[in-house]
Amino acid sequence: MFDEALLSRLIGRALQHGGEFADVFCERRKSLSYRLQDGRIHDASYGVTLGVGIRVVVGESGGYACSDDLSLDALLHAADAASLIARTAPGGQSDAVELRAVPVAAVYESQADNAPDPKRYVALLERADGTARRYDPKVVAVNAHLIDEMQEVWIATSEGRFVCDRRPLVTLGVQVVASDKKERGSGYVGDGGRTSIAYFDRETPELLATEAARIATVNLAASPAPAGEMEMIVGAGGGGVLLHEAVGHGLESDFNRRGTSLYSGRIGERVASELVTIYDDGNLAEERGSLNVDDEGVPGQHKVLVENGVLRGYMQDRLNARLMGVESTGSGRRQSFRFSPQPRMCNTYMPSGVWDVDEIVASTKRGIYAKSFAGGQVEISKGDFVFMVGEGYLVENGKITTPVRNATIIGNGPDAMMKVVAVGNDSRLARRHYTCGKGGQYVPVGVGMPTVKISSITVGGTQHG
Amino acid sequence: MDESAAIEVAREAVETACGCGAESSEASVSIARRLHVEARDSAVARLEGSTGKSLLLRVFCDGRKATLSTSDFSSDGIHEAVARAVAQAELVAADEFAGLPDETTTELVELELCDSAVGDRESVEKVDEALKLERLIREADARVVNSSGSHYTDAVAVTALANSNGFTAGFSWTRAGRSTAPVALDGTVKRIAHYGTAARHLRDLETLESVAKTAVRRAVDLFGARKPATMRVPVIFERDVAAAILDDVFAAVSGANVAAGNSWLSGRLGTRVGSELVDVIDDGRLRAGLGSAPFDGEGVPTRRTTVFEHGMLRTFLYDTYYARKLGATSTGNSTGGGIGPSNFHLAPGSISLDELIGSTQRGVFVVDTIGFATEHASGTYSRGARGFFIEGGELAYPIDEFTIAGQYAEMLAGIDGVANDLRFDASVVSPSFRVAEMTVSGN
Repeated sequence: MFDEALLSRLIGRALQHGGEFADVFCERRKSLSYRLQDGRIHDASYGVTLGVGIRVVVGESGGYACSDDLSLDALLHAADAASLIARTAPGGQSDAVELRAVPVAAVYESQADNAPDPKRYVALLERADGTARRYDPKVVAVNAHLIDEMQEVWIATSEGRFVCDRRPLVTLGVQVVASDKKERGSGYVGDGGRTSIAYFDRETPELLATEAARIATVNLAASPAPAGEMEMIVGAGGGGVLLHEAVGHGLESDFNRRGTSLYSGRIGERVASELVTIYDDGNLAEERGSLNVDDEGVPGQHKVLVENGVLRGYMQDRLNARLMGVESTGSGRRQSFRFSPQPRMCNTYMPSGVWDVDEIVASTKRGIYAKSFAGGQVEISKGDFVFMVGEGYLVENGKITTPVRNATIIGNGPDAMMKVVAVGNDSRLARRHYTCGKGGQYVPVGVGMPTVKISSITVGGTQHG
Repeated sequence: MDESAAIEVAREAVETACGCGAESSEASVSIARRLHVEARDSAVARLEGSTGKSLLLRVFCDGRKATLSTSDFSSDGIHEAVARAVAQAELVAADEFAGLPDETTTELVELELCDSAVGDRESVEKVDEALKLERLIREADARVVNSSGSHYTDAVAVTALANSNGFTAGFSWTRAGRSTAPVALDGTVKRIAHYGTAARHLRDLETLESVAKTAVRRAVDLFGARKPATMRVPVIFERDVAAAILDDVFAAVSGANVAAGNSWLSGRLGTRVGSELVDVIDDGRLRAGLGSAPFDGEGVPTRRTTVFEHGMLRTFLYDTYYARKLGATSTGNSTGGGIGPSNFHLAPGSISLDELIGSTQRGVFVVDTIGFATEHASGTYSRGARGFFIEGGELAYPIDEFTIAGQYAEMLAGIDGVANDLRFDASVVSPSFRVAEMTVSGN
């Protein structure tokens, strides 16, 4: 769809006023989605994203222009607009670029675009709805959605590299509300990944809907969360949101190159308990955050971020890697052709330690067991984070007791990581439905974690004392 | 930007849909030219420009509805996508409430949404503005050692709508914004703060000096913050944080959430929910408002709607579909695919923020929160927060790493003071207000 001659010409034009490098990112994305509400298919939608983004980099400065008009005139105009940055900071030179197509290793299958029978989508949603409603008479509402998309990208760089990738992504999400007239509780479960809807033959809508309905009824019966400082057990899988927020964002290279992260300049230093090791990996089969190549054409990689408590490396995109004198780690990502790339996480997880989960629970006097999180956020300069607990329980004298609702956890990233006192032997990746936002750009990511105990954290609930 | 060209694209898309077998359809087209300048230190870090367009098409076939969004305006592209959307509609359950609105607007009121100065201004002036803002934050306080960038953004755009009942209309709008993110250092503690201003007209923007001053104050004022004790005290929310609470109130009055059983306000229409001070208004006709438009995403005239009057819940907000479903009338809040706010705000009080703080013996003043609520069904509010401890009507010392939590119903009922610092710099805004008592969780 986008040939080498055209992209080569655009790069030459983009570098007309100079610049250290330029790249062209072409995208075509088609997305089908169906939504179920009140027991029936409520709406269907189809989306097409098609366009080209052109970037010129000069030192720390980036010029960017995008066009959804694919006529030659419009694309040349975009290249001219991107080239203007080189006038504000002259330097470098422009040479004619000869592009070479580079093959990429596949961590997910770039499936052919033969859309399955649409009735299969509808059947998956209806099965989820029926299962959730049969789970408990207290289930009063079920909302479910299914998205099947294919993003195709063509990336050319001024070094002559030309790569293409096809990235499938499916998501089935089930939200269940349970009510006993007085109180309401909700549960959400989503799954999918870089695969086709055949995935839901294995992870069936029945499984997902049962789990969502179970969480909704647990939350319905839950007591208000306690408030104050206590121990915290973070559940395996979905607990990985903690790593993503508390540590991951702080290790993205833009913040570190600019010196705005608390982890800036601290490679080789101890930043966490020695029990803590954290990886980010773009090469995990089917995971949402996996990339055959990133949005700058660099292959996805396995990165060691923290090893036995010591900071080992940042996640790098090309611009920041270049300025920091290192190589890109394949972490340059963007929401679409309308955005210039940022260094981002792919799939962030902690490998297993040695504790049995039972031992971790037994060792806890008074704490909160956060089996999953409903979301989180971090402030990267000081490292403060918050998480909303999706499914949580009180732990009293070594035993899991009552479920608690609406707990918010607040803490400080490095502080919490120093307080990791036990790491379970049950590391796994969470069900795949996470999307990460940064600077107004949303990209799919994966998270994973073993059961982990943190010796003290602040829980924000409504029950004082 | 050419309104008539955008209207023509919308009209043609509707025609294509009807040719592909849709019974009725509606197309909304927006074309926007955007500029974004980021300055950092003394250099331009980013200069981004684009012209983006989008078509949002809704098709109806026997009460079955499907939606298409695309940026591919080629006639082949549109034809293929429309055919696909029409085919998808066949899988959707027939719904007696789905369809075009019964009535659309007949006159286009002038709402001053367009400032020709935004587009006419030279790029170099816009670049200089970002550079100057960056300089101002670094000069304002010796502790500002870095920044995450100072920005100037603008957009010049047209929005057009056509439907198969013959409705066609369009309007032009502009938007400009200035924002910055100073990083301050005190010992080993780094703090970053964000502040910005946005408006339809350049003249309505806060000055660069004022933006820099507020941003820097937010970055340095919290140095030396302690973690507070866990307690129940009055809490004052500064206007940005208060606006985030109004965002959640908007979600709870949105007809879509009410119909889906996902609102804590379900079944409370006509009852007293808030205190006497709670007057909440949605005003799609506010002059030059960022949430204003002459008609909504379905062509229905926008209007001013009183949602809460002295604490009494008067109405939910609807588009055509949810109005029909819930037995009401559209309030002109359709976004084309959902229900959106139009200058949704809490009415300001008559005292200043300083007076509000001054009248609080012991409490917490919240200037920033992190996190977001997910529990719209039960109406629970819970956030990480930063701010100040108030003693004897004064800000005694900064505090952070605590949470505040409560039920929205209790919070609205507990509002016992509202300041006069309302500014329409977003589509959901609020003046600062005080809630009589909430749980603060710290040590």
